[in-house]
Amino acid sequence: MAAGFKTAEPLEYHRSFLKENCRPDGRELSEFRTTTLNIGSISTADGSALVKLGNTTVICGIKAELANPPVEGPGKGYIVPNVDLPPLCSSRFRPGPPGEQAQAASQFIADVIESSEVIQTEDLCIERGKLCWVLYCDLMCLDYDGNLLDACIVALLAALKNTQLPDVTISTETSAPEVNLEKRRGLHIHKHPVATSFCIFDDSVLIVDPTAEEESLATAQLAVVTDEEGRLCSLHKPGGTSLSGEKLQECISRATVRQREIQKLINKVLHSVKTDQ
Amino acid sequence: MPTDTKRVRGPEASQSPSLFVSKPAAAPPSLGTRADGRRWGQVDVRPLFVRCGLVSQAKGSAYLEAGSTKLLCGVYGPKETERKDETDMKCGRLTTDMRFAPFSCPERGSWIQGSQDKDLSQMLHESLQPAVCLQKYPRSQIEVNVMVLENSGSVLAHAITCASLALADAGIEMYDLVLGCSIRQDGDSYVVDPSYTEQNSCSSVDSDNQGNLTVAFLPSLNQISGLQSDGEMTEETLTAGVRTCIEGCYKLYPVIQQALAKAVRRAAPPPSES
Amino acid sequence: MKLCVPGDKLCNIEDCSPGTGVYQRHGYIYSSLAGYVLRKNEGGQLPVISVVRETEAQLLPDVGAIVTCKVTSINPRFAKVQILYVGSTPLKDRFRGTIRKEDVRATEKDKVETYKSFRPGDIVLAKVISLGDVQSNYLLTTAENELGVVVAHSEAGAQMVPISWCEMQCPRTHTKEFRKVARVQPEYLQA
Repeated sequence: MAAGFKTAEPLEYHRSFLKENCRPDGRELSEFRTTTLNIGSISTADGSALVKLGNTTVICGIKAELANPPVEGPGKGYIVPNVDLPPLCSSRFRPGPPGEQAQAASQFIADVIESSEVIQTEDLCIERGKLCWVLYCDLMCLDYDGNLLDACIVALLAALKNTQLPDVTISTETSAPEVNLEKRRGLHIHKHPVATSFCIFDDSVLIVDPTAEEESLATAQLAVVTDEEGRLCSLHKPGGTSLSGEKLQECISRATVRQREIQKLINKVLHSVKTDQ
Repeated sequence: MPTDTKRVRGPEASQSPSLFVSKPAAAPPSLGTRADGRRWGQVDVRPLFVRCGLVSQAKGSAYLEAGSTKLLCGVYGPKETERKDETDMKCGRLTTDMRFAPFSCPERGSWIQGSQDKDLSQMLHESLQPAVCLQKYPRSQIEVNVMVLENSGSVLAHAITCASLALADAGIEMYDLVLGCSIRQDGDSYVVDPSYTEQNSCSSVDSDNQGNLTVAFLPSLNQISGLQSDGEMTEETLTAGVRTCIEGCYKLYPVIQQALAKAVRRAAPPPSES
Repeated sequence: MKLCVPGDKLCNIEDCSPGTGVYQRHGYIYSSLAGYVLRKNEGGQLPVISVVRETEAQLLPDVGAIVTCKVTSINPRFAKVQILYVGSTPLKDRFRGTIRKEDVRATEKDKVETYKSFRPGDIVLAKVISLGDVQSNYLLTTAENELGVVVAHSEAGAQMVPISWCEMQCPRTHTKEFRKVARVQPEYLQA
């Protein structure tokens, strides 16, 4: 009947674990699921990374294209993130245009890119007012088991670090761009933002890295983004129950620890990819 | 063009850098060996890597890698049909959705599903349906979702194999597995399991026999469930091509059987004989 | 133990009789599942050959099956439920069912009031009587002593205790509420 309890009364089932300061999958309240990273596996992309956070899997592929710089910023380029939740990743998503959750996630990623200054869009300018790079960062969820945002940010950051842009010169005679695909250079990554998501259960219990089921039962959700200097880039808490200042401080300190872990992981994987080549 | 309010906005137009490459690409490979070392006119399929059960949320799933072609397939259901008017009291419905990740091809793809994706979904559906025992699932639907992560040629053929593997992993009753194989006919010779460049290359030799052929094959029942060809081929060339594809399918068969056996064993130990 | 994949030829039709996970074609028995091949003597002339997987393969609610469901909504004519289990096997995808007023109990059918039988959130044991037609859901019945509400919460939120076939009591407030109660079976007392 234990399995029956789980399906019929999922909230009671989770509460019975949280009372003992643990979770149904055996984790402690502030414990992340195992995070694994694979960088550069998609050769058709200019940069790519696959992240697994427990069962949750997100792949990020970056494609660079050439465009005219924006009118409001002639010395800038574009970064266009897009989060896709295809029906493949969970039965809760339908085919068709992006749903509410995918739209919110895309906007969150765009905000983090802007506020954290992970890349300065000035770096993407090739010739002022004439030509710039557009980085299309497509984040595709392949297996949805909660905590999409954390996985997306790690995938994005790792893929950006993996991105190699071809060399472009503007011909003086024809003033047309000339691309050399053989000669490539990496992007300059200014900051390393990492997200840490929390769920609040029954208005009081705080858990980190929620699974899909925990997310659906929680009374509020919260995402904290910090960079390597411990600066707060973004704090996202869409509605739900309130949270005390102390608890929030707790979340931020947990996030800074997580940031260091993830940055170490990315550097380790990047290093192993480089030595392989 | 209407603005897309559901996505982060980028520039109105952008071009792929490959359009501005100053030097033309390296000369096409000579006849005899192919760019990846395989041979022309031989049933030389790329080595296959397959694994079941990677998508935790799906009833069944399969990941397939052939050369650089990478596909992931998830199967959901049988569940209640979404639309009441499509409910069939005697027989289940099979739905297929095949999509390309925007970064999967050398040229960036659109976010919106194009007509190519829909055609491929339809062909995938036609190839799989004869193999599934749909009468066992009255008034329900079974969903097959394929995502192409990297397109390095022969995508439809591998999608068929991958989807049938995912269906078997999901425990959906089937008459047989479905395997896919494709060839590119180029004049008198052909390449099996063509790569992206081979599939789209145009031979300089002027000849009648130019085209692509994909065959979906039920290996145990020895039946063809799907056949798609484009280009122009004579009758003899086409029949010879179909035979070559079937031969290619038989080469994949043991790999698929082993992957399934591994998945079954991992899921549970053998039941007691009692 | 031998493993097979869909389409594997298992044996001649004269050697075994077909069980589950297999099909017949041209005088042979083939597998329709990826799983273990199981041969069993069940008293018949021929052993029964089946293909089995870790869980019961793809169970769908069938006529006569006992299902566990959760009440989602009620109105004067029927109660709508979500089927969670078929027998003891959980369904991964949920199916909807309907318990009509006349199928709630076996006696005094015309006096049944759905509000006094079920409430949303109740866990109910029921039996499938029909797959329904194109417009309707699965039709279920609770018109047996063993069928009906097994778990219910009172208005105060506590899990209630059955006190008769038609009443349950809240342990906190001691108020009584009407339900079509299933005869208590030992395995549900543990939960």
